[in-house]
Amino acid sequence: MTTGFHRAELLDRLGIGVIVALAVIALALLLLPAAIVVIMSFDTRGYISFPPAGFTLDWYYKVFNQPVLVNAMLTSIKVGVYVTLLCIALGVPTALACVRGDFRGATALSVFVLVPHMVPGIVLGVAVLFAGALFGIGPSIWLQSISLATYVMAVMVRTVMARLQRLDPLLEQASANLGATRWQTFRTVTLPLLLPAILAGAVFTFIEGFDNLSVTIFTHGYRDRPLPVELLAIVQNTNSPLVAAVSSVQILLAMLALGVISLTIGLDRVNE
Amino acid sequence: MNVAADVIDMKTGAPRSAPVVDIRGAVKRFADLTVLDRCSLSAQEGEILTLLGPSGCGKTTLLRCIAGFLTPDAGEILIDGKDTVPVPVNRRSVGVVFQSYALFPHLTVARNVAYGLKMRGMPAAEIETRVTTALATVSLTGFEGRYPSQLSGGQQQRVAIARVLVLEPRVLLLDEPFNALDAKLRGSMQMELRQLIKRLGITAIFVTHDQEEALTMSDRIAVMRTGKVEQFGTPEEIFDRPANAYVADFVGASNFWDGYASGGRVVLPDGQTVATGLSGEVRVMIRPHNLALRPAGPQASSWTGTIRFRRHVGALMEYEIGLDGEHGLRALALRDGSTASLAAGDKVSLTLRDAAGCIVFPRS
Repeated sequence: MTTGFHRAELLDRLGIGVIVALAVIALALLLLPAAIVVIMSFDTRGYISFPPAGFTLDWYYKVFNQPVLVNAMLTSIKVGVYVTLLCIALGVPTALACVRGDFRGATALSVFVLVPHMVPGIVLGVAVLFAGALFGIGPSIWLQSISLATYVMAVMVRTVMARLQRLDPLLEQASANLGATRWQTFRTVTLPLLLPAILAGAVFTFIEGFDNLSVTIFTHGYRDRPLPVELLAIVQNTNSPLVAAVSSVQILLAMLALGVISLTIGLDRVNE
Repeated sequence: MNVAADVIDMKTGAPRSAPVVDIRGAVKRFADLTVLDRCSLSAQEGEILTLLGPSGCGKTTLLRCIAGFLTPDAGEILIDGKDTVPVPVNRRSVGVVFQSYALFPHLTVARNVAYGLKMRGMPAAEIETRVTTALATVSLTGFEGRYPSQLSGGQQQRVAIARVLVLEPRVLLLDEPFNALDAKLRGSMQMELRQLIKRLGITAIFVTHDQEEALTMSDRIAVMRTGKVEQFGTPEEIFDRPANAYVADFVGASNFWDGYASGGRVVLPDGQTVATGLSGEVRVMIRPHNLALRPAGPQASSWTGTIRFRRHVGALMEYEIGLDGEHGLRALALRDGSTASLAAGDKVSLTLRDAAGCIVFPRS
């Protein structure tokens, strides 16, 4: 009896040990590459290697003194903003239509929004390139923004839909009962309650707009080369820690963004 | 002629003031299901009216029709004599207190209460004065800056009430407002809310499935079943003179004893008689407090049974008594020396306290 009991307890402890070990491995997988990139960006040697041979800030100096890289970064930030604005302007009404719409095909629409995201990025990129040509829009910052908005619209729609579905419909009825018109209700009750979901969606759409390569590579403008395309070129032609320095700047930006979110709406509410 | 009928009560001939809310033959169907079946009711100025019935009886549907969230398929709902059907939800002078209160979680107490005034475009200074007054009315002064999640259930309810009262609605609708409160708070909030509504003189319609709540809160009660109004009257009328066995059973627990009436009376097993105009098979309603229990002794009446179990109900003791070959009867007695000694398994004899308290219904 006692041995059986001991064995069960031992297994319990072993189980907990395994879970902790797996969690540590997962965390290492998530954090180590980023850490290594940051460490390599300070290397004094002119090629990428680990561990670094010394410490210098030269590469960062170079990043911000190369107009090509600075322009690429600005272009990518612009694309991120455009994609996000497009996704909010089109995605929020789509989510409202899917959840509140009283028409045939509302469910089909909510599934259809996912399709562009399930197509491989390269395929979508080529498709948008041809479609753009049909409407007279050549590869440019605009075509790139449109293609990426198509690609990540699902994230915004789905995030906002999830929040809408959990929104108490009585709140909108109460608003109407208190004398608000439909528009007043939307502006003062529905929209403020959707804001955390919209912000959460915006973080993802911005990052995709900033960072996407597979769709971007076909649709970006040749004069406005975005950062991922520029980085690919550098990696292909040279092997300098410059790329690591650019990546570190991106990691810093991402952490800043997360910091801002956790201070404003709270990280735990992002997935609401 | 219709005008005369409206102004003068046809039965008493007394002048009658026009009702604030007048529901005439309201019908509402959802697909094949008739949820409201020709409901007619009216609420007079300053009256608290209760729609009482089990879930699915249509009481909430009727409330939602009055508020304008639903449109009746037939019939009329008049407020101050005007048909409300063409009036959109946000133009009706009807304030709803929802079961879950439906407070705006992203707004403070003050901004929740100010909401309706703001939508009407009232100047900020006037809004502030009115909100302060409304919060004082529900004793929530000092809570202006709190969010709904920081309030207790009772406080949330008072915010919900202040939020509609501040708009001075013609009619106040309350949908099971005490459901979310714990039992002890419920009792005190019922009294408090009734006093508040009476003090402000608002006409209120109130929905509940709890008969005690209805008896406490109401001036008049409409007992509903499957979309129909079974009886509409004062709490006294409903309790003392139920229109049928359904009402008798739903409002105040009742015992039903099946017997046979002839010669204008029914004879109960203890020998007492209840007068009735009916004859043939009848069902006699006996309230549990109308049955007296005694330990079965040598002088026992011919109505005896065995105590199945007893239950403490505050100052009262409730007994369930099993009779031979019949379903049980309930008896309610004050706890005193004679009843305290009765326990489960004891044989008891039953006597009716007051034959006038019984009501005889036809058996169908």
